[in-house]
Amino acid sequence: MTLVEACGVTRVFPMPAGPGVAVKDVSLEVGAGDHVAICGPSGCGKSTLLHLLGCVDAPTTGALRFEGRDVAALGDAERSRIRLTRIGFVFQRFFLLPMLTAAENVELPQAEAGVPRAERVARTRDLLSYVGLSARADHRPSQLSGGEMQRVAIARALANRPGLLLADEPTGELDEATGAQIAALLDRVNDDGTALVIVTHDQTLARRAARVLQMKDGRILDGCHRS
Amino acid sequence: MRALRFAARTLRRQPARALLGILGIAAVGALLFDMLLLSRGLVLSMEDALNRAGFDVRVTATASLPGTGPRIGRAPAVLATLTALPEVDDAVALRFGSGRVLMTAPSPPVGFTLFGAEPSRRRFWTVIRGRDLAARGDAPTGEVLINEALAAALGVDAGASIAIRASCVRANEALPPVHVRVAGVARFPFDTVEQRTAALSRRDFAVACGEPDDEGADLILVATAPAYGPDQARDAIARVHPDLHAVSNAQLVRQLAATRFSYFRQISAVLATVTLAFGLLLITVLLTVSVNQRLGTIAALRAIGFSSRRMVADVLAESALMVGVGGALALPVGLLLAAWLDRILKRMPGLPAELHFFVYEPRALWLHAGLMGATALLAALYPVRLVSRLPIAATLRSEITS
Repeated sequence: MTLVEACGVTRVFPMPAGPGVAVKDVSLEVGAGDHVAICGPSGCGKSTLLHLLGCVDAPTTGALRFEGRDVAALGDAERSRIRLTRIGFVFQRFFLLPMLTAAENVELPQAEAGVPRAERVARTRDLLSYVGLSARADHRPSQLSGGEMQRVAIARALANRPGLLLADEPTGELDEATGAQIAALLDRVNDDGTALVIVTHDQTLARRAARVLQMKDGRILDGCHRS
Repeated sequence: MRALRFAARTLRRQPARALLGILGIAAVGALLFDMLLLSRGLVLSMEDALNRAGFDVRVTATASLPGTGPRIGRAPAVLATLTALPEVDDAVALRFGSGRVLMTAPSPPVGFTLFGAEPSRRRFWTVIRGRDLAARGDAPTGEVLINEALAAALGVDAGASIAIRASCVRANEALPPVHVRVAGVARFPFDTVEQRTAALSRRDFAVACGEPDDEGADLILVATAPAYGPDQARDAIARVHPDLHAVSNAQLVRQLAATRFSYFRQISAVLATVTLAFGLLLITVLLTVSVNQRLGTIAALRAIGFSSRRMVADVLAESALMVGVGGALALPVGLLLAAWLDRILKRMPGLPAELHFFVYEPRALWLHAGLMGATALLAALYPVRLVSRLPIAATLRSEITS
């Protein structure tokens, strides 16, 4: 089943020196359970493409459909709802809320989605156990290491059982060993059925994906499937 | 997590900034509260003092202030007509003058304000020590009531005899002294802090003025009968005595509010506006700084599915929380400040001791809450605009590259 489908998508940003094309005529399909890595040099449009796939941004031209719905036709509230319930985001800088504990950070999107308290407490406990942080549930981000913060961010991204998890340089702020742990955790998430699209410079991380897309100057140069 | 709880956590994250902001709002709120108390303070205080005197309607010969215009002639007859009205419970005729108590040389005479009051059931003064003037009708009693300031200046109390020289017209005069006995010490409602006052019966006043047959009065105070309102009593008086000028306490207060006390309302309106403008700027700056410091987090929250409306609610809740806590703190601070300022202002000469510049009324509390709420809302407009128009992708990108 296709989760997100981009057809001839272009994203142009107004720049002081004239319009800048971040993504140019990209067509791409991500299906349920897919594991895709997007690689390329800095400024090639990887993150912009990820934001388009995650309904955070809208294409200048071309069509983008999420689970068959034309994203351009959706209002802000509907797109927010899709992001909240169907898409998980993992950021390079984690963006955990510093005033909340690890458990509260994981609970936050569930509360926003209207999940009953008892249900979200149980789900949060399960997720923190899943990422190996049961003992750190009551710690604030400032009391956690970088790897632990990213694991909490992954748990938060999975909180509302999304079909698609988007990760933008998830190991970018971590050392090699910790990055490998996060990569293994993301593999596990994918193995458990969640489609995964990772933007990364890290070739080791990219090689774990079933499909690796190389981007340059806003275009996808090639894509190879791995078994 | 609801917006208000979320805002509370956000504020607690930066305790020093939150505390400074709340204290700033408390200071602004206290000043605003004081301006609201000042805007109607004198009016309310005057209304209260007038009502406490026990009379609802004032009758004079003309619209001039009592003691400055012509007198009411044949006051006993006028009194009889007024007290016969069903709308009137009681009435008392007053004469105003001044006097001096002759002291043993070389001490100079002690001056005082002098009242002459027609004996009645109700008195506009309150006896503190001794007894009231005897109500003996037409015969002079040879008694006087004095206030604390005059008693202290003379070193006398109830039972003492003094010689007073009255001055009853607005021209130089040399009346012979009369000897009177101090019946008691009383408090007069509109005395200033250091004012010396004495009251005689109308007959004694006329004798002291050397005009034993004078039946004039500067003012007639009227108490309305319980079944009627002051306006009904005033209208009834106007019907039977169209030659006289009758005003109710409420009318008098309205006149004062529109003329003599309007300066305070204008001053407080200007200062309240300036105070609110400062409060608005303070809250706007605090919220804008808070939002700007969290742009990355806000963009991330938007990316994980928080709606624009929810983020706006968070900013509004943060504003409401700061203003709510600061505004609540402002009330006790404002009351203390008002008491202090009132003491300073009451040192002005010629001000009745019972008048206050800052007077609490529930209306001031609601107005304060309303104005602070409106300020919180207005102050949040710019930060709300920042949040609602935040480009999520561009902000996330700039957070990574910064």
